[in-house]
Amino acid sequence: MNHLSTSLALLFQEASRASTAIESIKHPDLSKFLVIAAILFIIGVAGVLTRRNLLVIFMSIELILNAANLNFIAFARYLQDTGRGDPIAGQIFTVFIIVVAAAEAAIGLGIVIALYRNRETIWVDEIDLMKW
Amino acid sequence: MILSGWESVFFWIFSIAAILAGLLTVMARNAVHSALFLISSLVSVAALFILLGAEFIAGVQILVYVGGVMVLFLFVIMLVNVGAEEEGRAPIFNRPAQVTAALVFLALLAGALVIYAIPRGYQAMQKRDEAAIKQANAKRAAAESNLATAATGVSRLTRETERVGTSLYTYASLPFEIASLLLLVAIIGSVMLARTLKQEIAADDVDPEVLSDMSAASSKADES
Repeated sequence: MNHLSTSLALLFQEASRASTAIESIKHPDLSKFLVIAAILFIIGVAGVLTRRNLLVIFMSIELILNAANLNFIAFARYLQDTGRGDPIAGQIFTVFIIVVAAAEAAIGLGIVIALYRNRETIWVDEIDLMKW
Repeated sequence: MILSGWESVFFWIFSIAAILAGLLTVMARNAVHSALFLISSLVSVAALFILLGAEFIAGVQILVYVGGVMVLFLFVIMLVNVGAEEEGRAPIFNRPAQVTAALVFLALLAGALVIYAIPRGYQAMQKRDEAAIKQANAKRAAAESNLATAATGVSRLTRETERVGTSLYTYASLPFEIASLLLLVAIIGSVMLARTLKQEIAADDVDPEVLSDMSAASSKADES
């Protein structure tokens, strides 16, 4: 009898845990946005660390910057909800990150073109002129 | 900030789309496919911005990233030759040892962030801010009751864009000017970087070392 009651209690606990999980899927909050941004960031870093193609590495950097933007916007919304701090500051930061990303892409792609003209390759493991 | 109803449905659709497109960006063999997947990832993130109430940033994201930066990427992909990679004659990833080391490191990072750091930090933050959120929500509901309803009828139109513009020209005006200077420097720098030798000669701006190499080569050609 005792066994039955403890297992029932365990089952009830599990069910309540599952229902809170369903509740959090039905009503995503700030932490879900942070998780999505973290996953995007990690995918971007994986691209930078594993790909050989310089252009795809640049695209992965854009993914990383976007993950940071998503974090900024999510926290801006959270600050708006708490009524503390300036809720617009996060959005202003995001505008500047987008500006810097555009400048970075222009310079980076200029370097890619100059490099391709001189070395005939955009594979990062063949670009080793400055490697010890 | 708790989404509900259709907002949460769209949240899951766009976040899964963003992550899948991001994965495919990194995995695609063809660089053009990578660029197109990155575009769809950026558009999905822009949709998440709209869900968070940042309509202006979503518009800027689509105009600047998708309309500007990604078109630049596609042009550069067209200019360089990556045929060996596309046709499967060359590997698209680094050596296996490097890839495994990177993936182990990133799996640890992902586990620490997603399982431990973010839920714990968010719980603590929520506990701290519970009263403030309740108070601010009541205040905001009162302020928003006289705003117009959106066309879909599910939310109120916000004045976010107006506030972003005002902030950009008031307290963020100095960084705004510096950003314009940065863009000018980026334009000049990329034009200087991407010039050909012929264009450098036409502008009388060739690297002295290259010039001496060229004259040595031409004098050798004269001797023979």
